[in-house]
Amino acid sequence: MKKILYILSIAFAGTYFAACHSLDLAPLNVIQDKDVFNSEAGVTAYMATLYRALPIEDFFYKPEGSGFGRDWQQFYHPGALCGELCGPYGGTGDGAQGFGYWPYDNIRTVNYLLENLPANAKNFDQTKVNGWLGEAYFCRAYFYFAMAKRYGGIPIIKQVQNYPAQSIEDLQVHRDKEEDVWKFIGSDLDSAYLLMPETSVRGRANRYVAAALKSRAMLYAGCIAKYGSVNYVAGDARNQGLVGIPAADANGFFQQAFDAAKLLEGKYDLYKKGYPDKVKNYVDAFLDPSSVENILVKDYSLTTNTAHSWDATMTCRYMTADGLSRAYPTMELVERFGGALPLTNADGTPRRFNTTAELMQGLQPRLLATIYFPGATLRGRTFDVQRGIYKHFTGTAAAELGTNPPNAQDRILSGSTAQLYPENDPNGIRVIGFTGVWTGGDELTRTGFYVRKYVDYNRDQSACGLYMSTQSWIDMRYGEVLLNRAEAAMELGNKTDATASINLLRDRAGAPAANEATITIDTVRNERLIELAFEKHTWWDLRRWRIADKLLDNTKYHALLPYYVYDEKKYIFLREVEPYQRSYTFDKKWYYEPIPGGELGKNPNLYPNNPNY
Amino acid sequence: MKKTASIFLGLSLLAMMACTKTDNLAGPDSGFQGNLVDATAGGKSNVLTETGGMQIKLEELSWSATPTPQYIPSKPDGTFEDSQLFKGHYRVTPYGGAFWPVDPIELDINGMTSHDFTITPYAHITGLTWQLDTTTLTMNFKIDPPVKTGLPQIIDVRSYINVDKYVGAGATISQYTDGSLDGSEQIRCFESINADWNETMATKTFTLKIRNLKRGRTYYARVGVRFNDSFKSSNLSEIFQVDVK
Repeated sequence: MKKILYILSIAFAGTYFAACHSLDLAPLNVIQDKDVFNSEAGVTAYMATLYRALPIEDFFYKPEGSGFGRDWQQFYHPGALCGELCGPYGGTGDGAQGFGYWPYDNIRTVNYLLENLPANAKNFDQTKVNGWLGEAYFCRAYFYFAMAKRYGGIPIIKQVQNYPAQSIEDLQVHRDKEEDVWKFIGSDLDSAYLLMPETSVRGRANRYVAAALKSRAMLYAGCIAKYGSVNYVAGDARNQGLVGIPAADANGFFQQAFDAAKLLEGKYDLYKKGYPDKVKNYVDAFLDPSSVENILVKDYSLTTNTAHSWDATMTCRYMTADGLSRAYPTMELVERFGGALPLTNADGTPRRFNTTAELMQGLQPRLLATIYFPGATLRGRTFDVQRGIYKHFTGTAAAELGTNPPNAQDRILSGSTAQLYPENDPNGIRVIGFTGVWTGGDELTRTGFYVRKYVDYNRDQSACGLYMSTQSWIDMRYGEVLLNRAEAAMELGNKTDATASINLLRDRAGAPAANEATITIDTVRNERLIELAFEKHTWWDLRRWRIADKLLDNTKYHALLPYYVYDEKKYIFLREVEPYQRSYTFDKKWYYEPIPGGELGKNPNLYPNNPNY
Repeated sequence: MKKTASIFLGLSLLAMMACTKTDNLAGPDSGFQGNLVDATAGGKSNVLTETGGMQIKLEELSWSATPTPQYIPSKPDGTFEDSQLFKGHYRVTPYGGAFWPVDPIELDINGMTSHDFTITPYAHITGLTWQLDTTTLTMNFKIDPPVKTGLPQIIDVRSYINVDKYVGAGATISQYTDGSLDGSEQIRCFESINADWNETMATKTFTLKIRNLKRGRTYYARVGVRFNDSFKSSNLSEIFQVDVK
């Protein structure tokens, strides 16, 4: 009995006391602060999680649904909500209310670094520490910018919140005023600029990246102040300043945007390596990884499983290995480059062309480099676009597009490239082209055009599958900074500076120079819409200028549709409403997205929601 | 085999039994109805609107201070009714139409509850005349805003036409509403204004035309004036019937 008691007490003491020691160890499978903040590799890894989470609206980005996720369907492009593209969206409302973006977890990651890195600063050279802190400020500004442009005023959280140390009531923060959020973004970017060095490794921020972002963000704030105080939706959130900025503060923001953009002068430049061929040069500006124009890029690779599907989903299967396309540039966008295309003669009859490619003669190099026209070539194949055949065609284009088209009975369309005219004649001519326009679905062009920007023409067709494209996304480039500068300068009344910036771009684009005497804010805005086409800026630009509800007011977009005139053996082009005849309307309340419902449920202090939600 | 079958039978019986308990909450047995009365017509007539042209916003305050609102759309005759509401205390607001904003009121909805709202539309369409010339419909009218100070900017005047009586900005045949078919200024079914109210507009007679109506059809038409307020909503005329022979 005694023996058993001894054994039991020894066993008890042995396990119980010994256990205390080993259980006091920090868990080995959780990375500790000392591992992260004591070594350069640790901080770099910590930074990588931040950069990975940055809301860069890249190839993958969709304005709704999976948002910043990795969906293959890159034709769900925000440009398809607002007239840049005719795409899969049925209307503007399909993507106008966002996907509940709410990155306070990422902001916490930044705040945690800002609080804990200085305590470990003795391990490093002070310049390095400053650089990292600067990057953290830059990332925080980036997150807040992405929210401010969606929701207006949101809570500003500068410290790490702790639960249960802080009560739920303390954590249920209130929204800050929209103006304060934009000022906070500006001040974070100022901190970032002061702390960071002049250069950085690829894909990470330096002081000029912060300045470029500041020029973009402050331009947004200035426009919201200036135009949002005229065109707005009334409601409690507006009365409390949670959305909207006093008009009097507009110029202060514009001045900050201008000053920030000016900081980059001489540090970056427009890409001109491919001169004198201005078309090739402009195409390569988006594909050459060594471009001096790139300020911040996001890279992709097959080995890290991050590759995207731009090539496979922006042109049709005729040129690719997999996937399909569903978004096509509109005629309205094409006409922004240099006015109406020369489709008709002076008497109103359609011009006759020997080949569809003839239309491209004399067009602006930047236009041809941004959009594939009928007759252009890619990977050895021609964009064979033909809407149908007219057995013969008489009269004007306008009459044919009116309510009683005189040639309608002579027009043949088809849903298949196999259909010939005359039917059953082995020498017949195909009714439609291999790349559209058919009467079937929307996997071939609806507008006659395809996107060219960012399409990698050097890539073999067999390498153009889903998740196989690796060209970098250029999140910020010097071209945009020049446009930010020109727009801010125009808003401040400095036409000389605005004209000079615009003309740098126009020279590179192969477009006629702008004239200081005639330049207006619309000149600058139009330049922005074409220079940054498909770069996912237009949706935000039309919103911040508060003109989206005017441009998108039951609006239909147009197509360039080539027909073969059988008896003349010539081509004509008609400017028709795109075949789906979709109409786009922007509801004014969409100038702000609603605060996500789940967040409102967790925190009643986020009320009032934005007007009319 | 038999054993498995009986186990399955037993399980499915159990599963079905689980559903038999009824909840003890009252169903949506209350309702809310009423009129949107035009304040400027001596309280005698309703505001001319269309299906969903205005809404009654309901916020049930019984459970939460920040409820998710629900809406009752208006009917074309300026009435509204929802017979499937829960009994409770609500904040209600006429909302989303071309009328001067009014303050919300709070009331208890219990059984079928009635309440009329008196609202002042931005404008009336007056002196509407129309004539049909074979297949072209011409409409003449004036705009008369009861309150002129602070009136939102006028975007445009537009004609609306449909093959049934539900016609308005949200129910129209687009090719007859969206544009001048041959690009000329004389023949058009809308007129852009984009200006604040001025005295020239008070005396002006607006003329809109719809061309190429299909023969042998009966159409219903009306005109509207659209304001650049928070909703870009329209005041509409009465509806008239057009028989195209």
